[in-house]
Amino acid sequence: MAIMGTFAFEEDFLAVARSLQSSGFDNISLLSPLPLEEAQEVLGLGKSPVRHYSLAGAILGAISGFAMAVGTSLVFILPTGGRAIITIPPFLIITYEMTILFGVLFTLLGFHFVSGLPAWRDRPYWSSASVDRFVVVVEGVAAEQLARAEAIIRDAGADEIRHVEEEQ
Amino acid sequence: MFDHGEPSYADVNKDVLSTMLETGPRYWMLLGGTMSVAGICFFMPWIYQLFVGVGAAGMNRNAVWGSYLSNFIFWIGLSHSGTLLSAVLHITNSPWRKAIYRSAEAMTLFSLMTAALFVMVHLGRVWFVHWSFPIPNQMGLWPNFRSPLMFDVMAITTYLTASSIFIYMGSVPDFAAVRDASTGMRRRLYTIFSFGWRGTAREWHTLGWAYTFFAVFVIPLAVSVHSIVSWDFALSAVPGFHHTIFAPYFVTGAIYSGTAGIVTVMYCLRKFLGFERYIGQVHLDSLGKLLITLSLIWSYINILELFSGWYGGTSFELEALKFRLTGFYAPLYWEMILFCAFVPMLMLSKKIRWSWNKMLLVSVLINIGMLTERFIIVATSQPRKFLPDAFGYYVPSWIEISITVGSFAIFATLFLIFIKWVPAISIYEVKETLKPLRRDA
Repeated sequence: MAIMGTFAFEEDFLAVARSLQSSGFDNISLLSPLPLEEAQEVLGLGKSPVRHYSLAGAILGAISGFAMAVGTSLVFILPTGGRAIITIPPFLIITYEMTILFGVLFTLLGFHFVSGLPAWRDRPYWSSASVDRFVVVVEGVAAEQLARAEAIIRDAGADEIRHVEEEQ
Repeated sequence: MFDHGEPSYADVNKDVLSTMLETGPRYWMLLGGTMSVAGICFFMPWIYQLFVGVGAAGMNRNAVWGSYLSNFIFWIGLSHSGTLLSAVLHITNSPWRKAIYRSAEAMTLFSLMTAALFVMVHLGRVWFVHWSFPIPNQMGLWPNFRSPLMFDVMAITTYLTASSIFIYMGSVPDFAAVRDASTGMRRRLYTIFSFGWRGTAREWHTLGWAYTFFAVFVIPLAVSVHSIVSWDFALSAVPGFHHTIFAPYFVTGAIYSGTAGIVTVMYCLRKFLGFERYIGQVHLDSLGKLLITLSLIWSYINILELFSGWYGGTSFELEALKFRLTGFYAPLYWEMILFCAFVPMLMLSKKIRWSWNKMLLVSVLINIGMLTERFIIVATSQPRKFLPDAFGYYVPSWIEISITVGSFAIFATLFLIFIKWVPAISIYEVKETLKPLRRDA
């Protein structure tokens, strides 16, 4: 079972998130129409692991870019004016571009893994969260805890409260 | 920040989404018009050229590069300030970026697509374009990565990919807003586009980090792309091309024309989509100051280019310089100097900088000057290389002129389609510039 409450003001929304946490509810989602650093702090979200994906992608891109330039020039030998077949300066440009390309692609991959998106299945959601409402969602609430969660949300000044049956 | 009073969060959703969800006959007429011009002026002449060969263009034995490549550089240049400016302003946390960056990034994407089309047109036998990619094939043929043209393929492919991802990822929360405001087929479509975004703190946190990394990757990428385009010329030994200053010259020119392009696009968004509330004097003023700075840098590099050619003292360079300053295309050269070095100085006056109509005129003149600059680089250097018996002239044929005109219609068509599919102003980032929803605010 999940329970949701909407709030018109940021401070009520943040306060209820803190209350719920201190009352032992740990499966909380905080939905907002814009990024709120304080909400991220409440949930203890520090440095994102996305940065590891970016670094890994950039390193892999650099290696594969250089390997591709060297590999193709060895497979298809094209002598030009007596110059070396493996020429470092131009190959560094290919390496540079591939570093960025793979860095971007891996950052994208990292975003999807870390955020859990795409997620097209039904999840507790309130469409006003994309307009002007702050929504707190407590998921996986046991039936005996439901009344306590609802009381905390109501006491914090929620405009509306809704119970949602979660998919198993 | 807001010229007509600060909107509420709900107003931002309503104002931006209404431009997507409500479509009047004027839009369809405009779209029909740009598509027709694109078809008649761009695609029909191109098809004709495919049948008769690239000889249909005015390029000849002396000038093997012509207006297709100068247009290619122009469109690549125009693409520059969108993503680059957006990334730089994101890293520096500039609040005036938020209302204009989405459309500026779209400008990047569509300019790049238009530029890529010019490569196809220039190639002649476009059906062999895949030969330039490192794809295994039955001939055992691999691209030569020592060639600057291959640097181009890699750079532009990377730039197109990165710019597409950059604009898409920034739009995901807004796609969710469109999903929530729509029904039926559109709702289903935007559910897919938004990846099921809910706006949780974790999603915002991850997007913020990823977006900053995209910005960090995109800034050096954008600089590298136009540097690499400049090396197509500068790594040759042709007088007029062979300058070490070419990379910064091209990059500055690119950002310059791109920024002027943003002013033009912002004018149209204000005028035709009714975004007066969101795109205001602060944006115009900031862009005006940026244009003055870029104009001064551009002028300095131009003087330096002339000086290094003259100081080199070789007869080939001096001949190329003389031809550029006093030869057949001299009027175009001086037009470029007038539009790109002198006209922008009008923006030193606040009266000009604060007037949308005057700024539109200045921005269009700058881009006419920049289009001319690219043409002059290509058209005055190759016909004047080394031996006098190789001297000649290059004049674009009607097919090239028509394709140039058509390219603007392609860009406009893509942009018109974009504004109906993607919120032209970032909804959530504009909300960040509003007073927070607090009791004490």
